[in-house]
This record gives sequence, structure tokens and C-alpha cells, in this order.
Amino acid sequence: MKDNDSFNATLAAATCALLGSAVAAPVAAQDAGSDWSFDSALLYYGESDGRVSDFSAAVSALRDLGDERKFSATVTADTLTGASASGAIALDRPQTFTSPSGRAVYTTPAGAVPLDDTFHDARFALNASWTQPLARLYTVSAGVGFSTEYDYTHIGANLSLARDFNKRNTTVNAGVAWSQDDVKPVGGLPIPLSQMLDVDNNSNKLGGSESKDVLDLLLGFTQVLNRTTVLRVNYSYSDSSGYLNDPYKLLSVVDPLTGDTLARVPIGQGPNGVYLFESRPDARTKQSLYAEVKHSFGDPVMYFSYRYMTDDWGIDSHTGEVRLRWPLGEGYIEPQLRYYKQSAADFYRASLVSGSALPRYASADFRLGDFDATTVGIKYGHGTPNGNEWSIRAEYYQQTGSVPSEQIIGNQANRALYPDLSAVIVQFGYRFRP
Amino acid sequence: MNASCAATLTRDADHWVGRFVAMASPCEVLIDHAPASVAQQVLDAVAAEAWRIERKFSRYRADSVVHQINISTGAPITVDEECANLLDFAATLTRLSDGAFDITSGVLRKAWTFDGGDGVPSQEQIDALLGAVGWHKVDWRRPVLKLQAGMQIDLGGIGKEYAVDAAASRVEAIAPGLSCLINFGGDVAVRNTRQDGQSWRVGIESCDRAGTPMRIVQLARGALATSGDSRRFVFRGGHRYSHILDARTGWPVRKAPHSITVAADTCTQAGTLTTLAMLQGENAEPLLQASGMQYWLQ
Amino acid sequence: MKKIPLCLVLLGLAGCAQVQPWERDVLARPEMSLDNAPLDAAIDDHIYFSKEASSGGRGFGGGGCGCN
Repeated sequence: MKDNDSFNATLAAATCALLGSAVAAPVAAQDAGSDWSFDSALLYYGESDGRVSDFSAAVSALRDLGDERKFSATVTADTLTGASASGAIALDRPQTFTSPSGRAVYTTPAGAVPLDDTFHDARFALNASWTQPLARLYTVSAGVGFSTEYDYTHIGANLSLARDFNKRNTTVNAGVAWSQDDVKPVGGLPIPLSQMLDVDNNSNKLGGSESKDVLDLLLGFTQVLNRTTVLRVNYSYSDSSGYLNDPYKLLSVVDPLTGDTLARVPIGQGPNGVYLFESRPDARTKQSLYAEVKHSFGDPVMYFSYRYMTDDWGIDSHTGEVRLRWPLGEGYIEPQLRYYKQSAADFYRASLVSGSALPRYASADFRLGDFDATTVGIKYGHGTPNGNEWSIRAEYYQQTGSVPSEQIIGNQANRALYPDLSAVIVQFGYRFRP
Repeated sequence: MNASCAATLTRDADHWVGRFVAMASPCEVLIDHAPASVAQQVLDAVAAEAWRIERKFSRYRADSVVHQINISTGAPITVDEECANLLDFAATLTRLSDGAFDITSGVLRKAWTFDGGDGVPSQEQIDALLGAVGWHKVDWRRPVLKLQAGMQIDLGGIGKEYAVDAAASRVEAIAPGLSCLINFGGDVAVRNTRQDGQSWRVGIESCDRAGTPMRIVQLARGALATSGDSRRFVFRGGHRYSHILDARTGWPVRKAPHSITVAADTCTQAGTLTTLAMLQGENAEPLLQASGMQYWLQ
Repeated sequence: MKKIPLCLVLLGLAGCAQVQPWERDVLARPEMSLDNAPLDAAIDDHIYFSKEASSGGRGFGGGGCGCN
């Protein structure tokens, strides 16, 4: 027998000559025995200025049992380190805070945006779901989820039903999800709007844990628009109740004229300013309308999505995302762009003014403020001969916020009141079928 | 035309099943998601193509090109383009297999009847027949073929796979993008993937237990061909003689796998590889590995 | 909170050109599936849930961590 390459080439050429211009797409055949497929990812997330950084690993397994029955499970492990902005505002002098455990203090240099005490946290999460046909054209799906970190646990379940119409050109689905989260912060639960006290003074902290329940309803509609375009529109309703505060977030109490944080003299070790723990309502209702489209321009595929969200905390947000996937050799390249804009919650306050009546709810958490965020990124994926794929994704996220001018008092005008955030995200992915 | 020139169409769960008999094999066409009229059209086209190729290339039919060639007793015959392509292809296979595959080896069936019995011919019988075997003895200058007296050609080794690919092309011409699975007696081709992304599930019959699949292959797209001895063999002296004869010796290939299935882009490619691999006997596996194609052995 | 009127634009969509099953070759490509990168989507959802006040949209609302 001739050597392999010329054998293969001769055979391929001979077949081509015989079958003429009949173009056959590459074969995709697979032992039904290995109906498992896996997707894995390694992620690095790093914020600038020594803030949060996160390493995480996720593995997802999907088993296709044929007849549209599928089982999937995902395991994720995260380790977070660093600190987020605590909500207190920057000042011309160093600021000292009691750490969340109540046993030590930490200091923020003059002029810097105060960050929480540096923390290390590990999180582990597990999600599993099962899908199967219920009757011709009906598919039912059920899932459970669980996650745990040192001060937080979550369990949840979801159920949804989908029905196809119009020769499967249209699918309508309805789903419900329920979850219960338990918060047990280090150092206890601070009484909302109580003042941050000295080290070892836990009189404003409650022991035990608090919980939060969330109910989600989803109504979705997927429609094939034409041979190259598919659209999905979802309406979601979400109701959270229970403990919705972030137990580590603060507000600074400031002088009504200068806007500087009121000074305080600790007894022993403790905060050198007046800081109050935040307070959020114990219920939140959100609604959102989301639409996404995928369109193929021959080989490249474009993805576009838009989401509008509104809630009873006064937050409205718009999210727009676009991605364009270009084939490149045996792989593809996919640049992506995301723009997000949200308005502040009604009870968002950059700081609290001494002498004014204390509002019922107040939070300086930057995540409830008024900001724009942009993400630019690019993903490259490469297929291997046996149908596996590895990929790499890199993104840059930038959040820029602003505080309403009526909330800026005195010297605060010269300082950055909103802690702008920028982060780099790098992800390696590998998909394979054993 | 015999009575089996009838094709039936039935509905099975979410696809159509068309059945007919051609090339002495049960044939079926599975059609994914189409209205009845389209399914009927597709089935008619596939059956028509199968019967056309059978009529044209069957050595049993008096009106076939192959029969004309086989009774030519040395006279030159001019063949059309399709036949010339098949002859060129067969010649390439003969070259690639160093003569083990040879379309002139059909005369050896006078010595071998693979009916599960124990009839094994004598060496003298085989030697007598070997005189009429050998592509190098054929005068093939496209488009004119001249066999020596007593020689015969048999396109059975490549005809079925070729018919599957030809039928697949016909379907693509009349219903582009339609996902259908064409199966002529175990040689299978799928041009386009199924609408919902699912694969067609093809069972490869077990050599030990006829009727029960030994393995299920999920074929989303492409072709499968199987070469094996489960149905046609001679069993004697504890040995199972596969029906694939080595044209150089006149004897069945030794120590060949019971069955080889190959997945390739086209059925012709898949079928060719299974045949060439079987002809390698115990060296079948290295050849299959070197080809880079997916394969399954029994 | 402003209420969202359930968009009746959806009604018009049902009358779109019907794509026949054998014309779904492009749509069957994996990159045309709306859920072809579920792990990427889950990772993104988690990151944005922990840095922004909105979540979900594509599916159920993310969350399940102490990060917001």
C-alpha cells in the first residue's frame, strides 16, 4: 500500500472525480454511546485600584439522552479577594473604620475612596436541570440550584413549560423560579441606620441570620423571522422580600455646610467619623422586557440584545449588547460591545446630612446609583479536529457614575463622590465530548 | 421491470419513512419534517435514481451497460460519461489496493457461493478462474473498454455507495436543505442536518445477533458504509470466510474484521474505505487509522 | 414604578414568513442557537449581577450570591 498521505489524497481525488461537483459538507458522526458533552471555563476578574479580584472555575456537563431529553449540571468555584467601595465618601483626612468582625480597625488614606476591609471569600455553587418532552410540541424543564460562601447560602428551584407552534417556528414558554437566601454576616447583622461603633462594641449588631426570598416569573416568546434570523422576547417579573440590605455598606454623615464627614473620637479603637449602616426596603419588585436577535450574514453571525428594567425602588435601566462572530480559519473571532445605563434608586444618597431628618431608607452603595457602564471585549474560539473547541475571551468593563447635584454639599464638589469602577476580565474556555 | 418497483411512504413519529427494494437490498429514505407531497417527491426521486443505476449497471439485467460489456467477447464497447467515471474510479481502487480490489474478479463467484454452507472450492478451480481476472488485462482507454474473451466486470463493490451519493444529489436538487437519510442496505448518507439540530440515529447490526444493533451512531451529516460478513459467508473447519475475495489469490481475505463501518463525507468514500480496509485483512486497522476517518470494527 | 405595557408588537410577528423545516439549515448551525454559550452567559450574568442593579432577562434572574 502506498504511504498514507498519498493514499488518502488519491482516494479523495478519485471520489471527487466520480461524484462530480456534488459538494458534501464535512461528516458529523458520533457514537451515540458518548452523549456527554462538557464545557469548562477559567476566569480572572480584576478591578483596578486594588479592589476586587476573583478567580473562578466552572465545569458544565450536558447529557443528551435522545428524544429531546437532556440533563445538565454545572459546578462553579470562586475565590474572591479585595474590597469594594463601602459607601462612605472620601475625605481630606485619613478615615478609620471598625472592621465587619467588630474586632479590629482599618484605615483609608486621605483623599481615597473608602473601601471595605479587605476580605477573602470562597464560593461554591451547583446547578442542575432536567428537560424532557411532555407531549408532542410541549417541553418541560426543571432545575435546582445551590450556592454557599462563608456568610451566605442560597437554594433555589425553577420550573418551565414550552410549547412550539407554526412548524416549530414559534415557541412560547412560561416559567417560575423560587429561591431562598440566608445571610449571616461576619460580626452580626447591623441594625439599619445605626451608627458604626467602636471595636468590640456589638450593641447595634443582631446575632443569627436573616433571609431573603425571591420569586421570578418569566414569559418568553421565540420566533424564527426568516431563514437567517431568530428573535426571542422575554418578559420577567421578580419579587424579592426579606433582608435586602448589604450588611457591610455604610453612609457618611456630613456637616451641612462643609460637606465633610463629622468627626468622632473613638474610645480605644474605633471609627474616627460618624458612619451609619445602610437601610433598604424589605421588598423589591422588578419587571423587565428583554429582546435578542441572531442574524446570519452568510458565514458571520450577529447578535444583538436589549433589556429594559424598572423596579419599585425607582431604578430604571437600559442594556444593549451587540456581538459579531466572524469565522477565522478553523475558528472564529467575536468582538463584543455592551452598554448599560441605570438611574439611581429613590433612596440612594451620596451621604447623609447631619441635622436633617433621617430618611427611612438610605444607601450609598454605588450599585444603586446613577451610572453608565461600557464593556468592550473580544472572544476567539478554535475548533479541534475531533469537534472540541477551546476559546479565550478578554473584556474591559468601565463604570462611570454621577451623583445628583442637589446631593453634592460643600467640599464634596472637589472630590470624586462616585467610585468609578474599571475591571479586566479574561476567560479561558474548553468544550469537549469524551 | 419487476414487481418490486414500488415505493411506500409511511409516517413514523416526527419523520417520513419511504421504503422500496433496489440492488437486491432493502432501501429506505427517512425524511425530516416535510409535507406529504414533498416527502413523496423525494421518495420518488430517490427510488427512481436507485432503479436507474440498478438498470444501468446490474450484471443481471439484459439491458444494462455491464451486461453489454460482459457479453462483448473481446469487442470494444464505448461507454457513457457516468460509466467511464465508475471505471476510472475502479481502476484507481485497483491501484490503491495493489490489485486486491478488482472489478474483474466477479468470475470467481462461480467457485464461491457464500450461503453459510461449507462449500470451499479447490485450488485448481480457483486457478482456472484466475486466468480471467486482472484489470491489467483490460484495455481501458476512455471511453472505450475492451475485455479479453471470458472476462467479466462487476460493479457491485462500488455501485451501492455510488447510488446513495447520486440519490442524495438528486434530493438536494429538488429540495435543497431538506434533511433526509438515504439508506441502501446499510450504506447511508445524510446531506443536511435535521431541523432541530438532532442527529439521525443509525444502528449498526451486530454480527452475532442479527437484528439487534451492536452500536448506535448519531449521524448529523455525512455518510456511513458497512462492509462485513454477517449475511454472506462460508463457514468451514471452524473458519468463517468473508465474502470479500482478494482478486490476486482468488481466496477470501484472511483474518479480516467481521465488520467495518466507516463515517466519511460521502458514501462512496466511506464504502471504498471499508472495502479497501477489509482487503487488508489483519492490517485493516492501521489503514483505517491512517485515513483519519472515524470507524468502528467488529 | 412605571408599568411596562405588554408589547402587542408580538402579535405582528406571528405572521412572519413561515420558514419550512427543510429551510432551517442556517438556523441549525450551533452558532445560530440563542443558547449556544451557556457558560459564558452564566459568567456574564454573575459578574453584572454583582456590579449592577439589574439582572436576568435572558433567563431567570441570576443572583444566588452574597454579592449584591
